[in-house]
Amino acid sequence: MLLIHCPYCKESRDQSEFSPAGEAFIARPKNPEGISDEEWADYVFYRTNHKGNHWEQWVHANGCRKYFLVERSTISHQILQVAPFGARNNETEL
Amino acid sequence: MRLAQHSSHQVDYSKSLNFIFNNKRYKGYEGDTLASALLANDSFLFARSFKYGRKRGLMAAGVEEPNALVSLEIGGRYTPNLKATEITLYDGLSAVSASNPNAFDMRAFIKPLHRFMPAGFYYKTFIKQKVWAKVEDSIRAFSGFSKAPTEEDVDVYDHIFHHAEVVVIGGGAAGISAALEVLNNSEKERVILVDERSQLGGELFNEFSSDEAAMTWHKDSVNRLLSFSNKDSERFTLLTQSTAYAWHDQNFIEVLETITTAESLTSSESQKARKIVHRIRAKEVILATGAHERPMLFEANDLTNIMLSQSVRRYLHEYGVISGKKVVIYGNNDSIYSTAKDLHVNDIECIVVDVRSSEKPIEIISELKDSGVKVLQGYSIVKALGSHRVKGVEIKQTMLQGNSWQVFGDTETLSCDLLATSGGFNPVVHLDCHNGAKTYFDEVSQSFLPQQDRDNREVCGAVAGAGAWQDAIIDAKNKAQFTLNALGVVSKLTQEILSENYSNFFNVSQFFTPKEILNMPKVFLDLQNDVTTLDVALSIREGYRSIEHIKRYTAMGFGTDQGKTGNINGIAVAAELLEIPMSEVGTTTFRPAYTGVDFGAMAGREIGDFFDPQRYTTIHDSHVASGAEFEVVGQWYRPWYYPKTGENMHQAVHRECLAARTSLGMMDASTLGKIDVQGSDAREFLSRVYTNAWMKLAPGSCRYGLMCNEKGMIIDDGVSACINNNHFIMTTTTGGAASVYSALEMWLQTEWSDLDVHLNSVTDQYSTVAVVGPNARKLMKLLCQDVDFERENFKFMQWRQGTVCGVDARIMRISFSGELAYEINVEANYGRYIWDQVAITGEQWNITPYGTESMHVLRAEKGYIIVGQDTDGSMTPMDVNMSWILAKDKSFSYVGRRSFSISALCTEDRLQLVGLMTKDSSTVLPEGANAIDNKGKSIGYVTSSYFSPILNRSIAMAQIKGGLSKIGETVLVKIVQKKQGLKEIPCEISSSVFYDIEGEKVDGND
Repeated sequence: MLLIHCPYCKESRDQSEFSPAGEAFIARPKNPEGISDEEWADYVFYRTNHKGNHWEQWVHANGCRKYFLVERSTISHQILQVAPFGARNNETEL
Repeated sequence: MRLAQHSSHQVDYSKSLNFIFNNKRYKGYEGDTLASALLANDSFLFARSFKYGRKRGLMAAGVEEPNALVSLEIGGRYTPNLKATEITLYDGLSAVSASNPNAFDMRAFIKPLHRFMPAGFYYKTFIKQKVWAKVEDSIRAFSGFSKAPTEEDVDVYDHIFHHAEVVVIGGGAAGISAALEVLNNSEKERVILVDERSQLGGELFNEFSSDEAAMTWHKDSVNRLLSFSNKDSERFTLLTQSTAYAWHDQNFIEVLETITTAESLTSSESQKARKIVHRIRAKEVILATGAHERPMLFEANDLTNIMLSQSVRRYLHEYGVISGKKVVIYGNNDSIYSTAKDLHVNDIECIVVDVRSSEKPIEIISELKDSGVKVLQGYSIVKALGSHRVKGVEIKQTMLQGNSWQVFGDTETLSCDLLATSGGFNPVVHLDCHNGAKTYFDEVSQSFLPQQDRDNREVCGAVAGAGAWQDAIIDAKNKAQFTLNALGVVSKLTQEILSENYSNFFNVSQFFTPKEILNMPKVFLDLQNDVTTLDVALSIREGYRSIEHIKRYTAMGFGTDQGKTGNINGIAVAAELLEIPMSEVGTTTFRPAYTGVDFGAMAGREIGDFFDPQRYTTIHDSHVASGAEFEVVGQWYRPWYYPKTGENMHQAVHRECLAARTSLGMMDASTLGKIDVQGSDAREFLSRVYTNAWMKLAPGSCRYGLMCNEKGMIIDDGVSACINNNHFIMTTTTGGAASVYSALEMWLQTEWSDLDVHLNSVTDQYSTVAVVGPNARKLMKLLCQDVDFERENFKFMQWRQGTVCGVDARIMRISFSGELAYEINVEANYGRYIWDQVAITGEQWNITPYGTESMHVLRAEKGYIIVGQDTDGSMTPMDVNMSWILAKDKSFSYVGRRSFSISALCTEDRLQLVGLMTKDSSTVLPEGANAIDNKGKSIGYVTSSYFSPILNRSIAMAQIKGGLSKIGETVLVKIVQKKQGLKEIPCEISSSVFYDIEGEKVDGND
């Protein structure tokens, strides 16, 4: 059971207040009609399932209902950092 | 039997308790466990073993006990598979063995066949031969476990949440010492001390009679601890009879507290919790979980009255109980001499057998010898004698040559009626491993010790390898200093010196696993699951190498004790047979829970009415007054149908449907999800999440929308009303409201943060009364004077603001039945008032309230889908024949659109939604029934099926492969009918619109 710090409520709360919302930084293609079926399937279905430090989206479902970013180790489950959307330059850090 | 009273005993001899075990009455004392009280009464038999039905007695005195499983109490208080060693005695207790040792046992009868029941026996004999189904019941009836409860649990269970800076797990010498050190050296830090026993002290009680200092230290320290909990209950919490059974990520610890008093169990009025799950979030954890003794291995080591040496001591010191008069004490470390000394002091005859040869003289040995105790060094027990209870042992000489044990010489026999063994100690590393730590094999202590450094946790005492209590106390103080340092409370560490060789677990020798012993029959490793050394040998012969595989093949450690006494010996045996070191074999994986947790305790108070929220509309009381039957949709209690006296569901639905079709019906539609969408980009947002066009929808109008996910699958539908250019009200399905709201928020927050759109769930803010039927317009004119209801001025799919019976209302002309219909939306608290006014005013048209069942029939007659019933998350709009709702010319590629052109979604043999008309119009197909082709293979299934009152025939909707191109063809639907069995019903594939195909009814007839 994780203890997650909500960057909006600014409090560490029990995991039961939150819901996971998938891998972070899966950008919707700008022009879906202009890409191949494979590229589209890659966006819709395929995820990295990364072993190690991993950025993911969580939502404070039973709290402020805000989505935010969590960097978590999928090995130790340790949470390394949390961030609101748009607060950091996603591209450079990845 | 019970010895003379002594101050070290922890039982209260002034309080005698009565109890019943296996239908016999006994007496015990307060402070006894069920196990100690039975031993005191010379009752030794507790169970029959799982596979062979061998009679078994106690092996241990605590949580590690493998044999003494009992069922406690009866009826609503029945609890299966508890360990007698863990049940605190109370007056009136009643228990039976999980498997009655005194009853006739089929397994014991087939005893001669035992050699034919090796590891994998059941699989090889029954499953491989495909006869398992026939024999499963009778084999399971043999098993040595309690029957499952049959009655509802009458007890109450609680959950309590805690936050603490430091949690100390284990209340023995080390735990007490660590908790005191933290409390003494800090001011605000909250400390929780958890211990499974009813009194703090752990194994320290064993030292009381021989070591005055232990007793003094214990008394003094416990008093100081208790003064903290009295003085400042916020700072120190003591949980006794509480087992920490799981340690999850980020120091989240679950503890099960058992509250057993005669009062809590037998009073019918008491609503105090019988068990409590404590959920603790800690900054720092100190593990002082101690170690479990492991037994020695020899033939017939499972006979009754063969016990662990330290457990014999515990029964002796804590309860004043001993189960024999002539004791052989056998082991491979110095702790057996302490046991011998304690027994000798109590005038109990004993002989010590030590596998180690005498190398250097030890004080306690010469002391024992001088006082007349026979000590045999360099001897081993090869076999226990006796049929059920141990009567003696066969011994042989033993020596260690290099790294392997040799057994040689003539066999001698010693007689005894109690055999106490000690094969070393297994640190209780379970919790540490739950949370991802590893163990390593330590040659000095011959044990798997916890990994040394971890953040936010310390290990101290026996779990860290410190055997003697004096060392455990110092070790705990030292480790607590590290904890205080991690908390930032102390900056300069004080460390005391431990005694030399403190971590060799009483000079323990290497595992005594000579081949001569391992090759004997009936050398049991896991007594609960009847796993012997020969089973491990067989699994290795059959090719298993990993200890995880050997464990699963032999079922070693699978019992309710999870192999606490047997597993490490099993690993040693595997190491010997595989000829690799212990460290290479490693341990099996330790997973939560450490001990059994009651389902009731897991559920806590979240049962019955508190299992799930129950949602009621504000109109609910009127429905109840009208005699409605309810069904749960999402969490809502919706009227299902309104039976009149003597009506069944079918008759009520028939009447309700005809009323809506021919005159007037009314329905509570308040449960539909409503989302308020506001902002300058609200219109753009709707056109991105719905498949159809929204840019030109004028204020005052409504539109039906279909919502897909990015995979192109339908997830929701509903009508949205344009209030003004920056404001829409979206309705969703009742069950989908929460997930749709969440999905929309996700788009806005994570992908389209540039859109100026704000969402708010307003489902609970409005009540909605639907007025349905050809007379609806006439009724609305009576109810509301400030809206023009003429058909050309208030068209289908429009809404108007008005005043209904004096209440501000948003009236929407939308229809889920195909009839002329209005939905009156008012502020929620006016719901019941409006409902009742509509009912009274509509009486002249015999207005009839209808529920969800009639709603389903009415919409099916019109072929309207219900998302989640006619679709299942794998249906595209094309599959349900709704291609008309896919906008072609939107500038933005709306959610799901790109997926529609993926080849797999365009094939012609996809399941497609069509109507089914049974050839015999009275047959109503069951929902879920399969449609089959001429070879009998399924080509689809029925999603909705009803008898239509207005058409006077059955109708159905179905998903049929390539169905849309098969309209007019006949298909067979396979159903099971009572008495007649399987039947194939011929049906015609039709359009899914059955009634009013031209759509003329929606305008009414006035």
